[in-house]
Amino acid sequence: MIDLQGYGPRLLDGALVTIELAVLSLILAVILGLLTASAKLSRNRLIHGIGTLYTTLVRGVPDLVLMMLLFYGGQIGINMLTDQLYYAFDIDIFININAFVAGVITIGLIFGAYMGETFRGAFQAVEEGQMEAARAYGMSPLLAFRRVRFPLMMRHALPGIGNNWMVLLKTTALVSIIGLTDMVRVAAEATKATHEPFMFMIPVAMIYLLIATLSEWGFAKLTKRYNTGFGESSEWNN
Amino acid sequence: MAATPIPLEAQGIKKRFGDHEVLKGISLQAHKGDVITLIGASGSGKSTFLRCMNLLEQPDEGELIVHNEAINFRATKHGREPTDWKQVERIRAKLSMVFQNFNLWSHMTLLENVIEAPVYVLGKPRKQAIEEARALLDRVGLLDRADYFPTQMSGGQQQRGAIARALAMDPEVMLFDEPTSALDPELVGDVLQVMRGLADEGRTMILVTHEIAFARDVSSQVIYLHQGVVEETGTPADVLDNPRSERLRQFLAPKH
Repeated sequence: MIDLQGYGPRLLDGALVTIELAVLSLILAVILGLLTASAKLSRNRLIHGIGTLYTTLVRGVPDLVLMMLLFYGGQIGINMLTDQLYYAFDIDIFININAFVAGVITIGLIFGAYMGETFRGAFQAVEEGQMEAARAYGMSPLLAFRRVRFPLMMRHALPGIGNNWMVLLKTTALVSIIGLTDMVRVAAEATKATHEPFMFMIPVAMIYLLIATLSEWGFAKLTKRYNTGFGESSEWNN
Repeated sequence: MAATPIPLEAQGIKKRFGDHEVLKGISLQAHKGDVITLIGASGSGKSTFLRCMNLLEQPDEGELIVHNEAINFRATKHGREPTDWKQVERIRAKLSMVFQNFNLWSHMTLLENVIEAPVYVLGKPRKQAIEEARALLDRVGLLDRADYFPTQMSGGQQQRGAIARALAMDPEVMLFDEPTSALDPELVGDVLQVMRGLADEGRTMILVTHEIAFARDVSSQVIYLHQGVVEETGTPADVLDNPRSERLRQFLAPKH
């Protein structure tokens, strides 16, 4: 294993934190994105309003500010809530927002808004006749979503998801601000101690690049899968 | 003698889009083996009426009874809606629809299209569904296209595939919404031939079409709609060969 003046193992731990954070945030962002897209396509004006408020708010405020607001503000909010519970019902609980969870929630929330826009466009790109056929053959809304709308939608959503994922991956570097030891923070500390920025920052850059390259490969595979049935050569046509 | 259940009955169906009343109270009774053809100019409401029967459109008034089971409705602020969507799903599974634009699921092969609803809606074992699907594809002359995607097939092939998909549900009634209107003229014949076969074997069918000659051949009843009202109805001989109204006579007159 590369030693890097003894920082190597810590840097790898940091890389693991980065990956975990990124993957969990992505999952949260996709779920929030699907919900947001459904909300914004809803006929119900209240639900539509909530979706719009969420995307406007999140997309209009810098990521760093949101993260700090959620980390510090969230703790204060939870403390107030638990205090209320204690006074009102004599329930004594203490919840401490852990920096990792705060990171996942913030990044998930931020990218949920971007995913929401991606999914909304993708949902609308699915030809209505496809869903109509699903309904006409007795599919429940859930089944029709799973078997027809989702796979068709993914074809349109994947480029956007891939793009969001790349930005999300790099946004994880912000969590060092709220005290999470990701690889950027390890590298920054090591640089301070040794005054050798390149020794640490170049490996960090390489790791990001490696993850990004692997992701692109993964997305290419997914894109191929969700493209089945589309754009095959027309030589078959007769 | 117990009366055999009527596959599909619609009574006094009314439908409004905004201020425009598209259907002004239309009724129909499809007995087993009936082939009922709806004809009329575009805008006469024939497609809307057909789409009301499997509730792709919600009728504002009127009753629908499928195989002795009446669909329950309730009033909401958006208009009338079915009370129980599970009931609607169950009934839709008995009324296969063939669309003007085929609407085969584009991310599935033809075979996957045909087994999709039998497996996921009816819960049929996959192996059995595949066997039946292959037999149906053979019947519509597309067995060699089983693994093709819809985009790799011609319109006529897609529509015959869509008919196989409809047959795979072993439906009480088949609904055809202008099945040949989106096809190139030279592809219409194959599709009509498949449909004629279905009529001959006693399938209950309701059909919206512009193919008057075909309607004359296969229909047990023809309904001529004009502006949301049944203007004339009867056997093909009554309606198509001896039209009473001037409007229908003009509608049937060869276009130049």
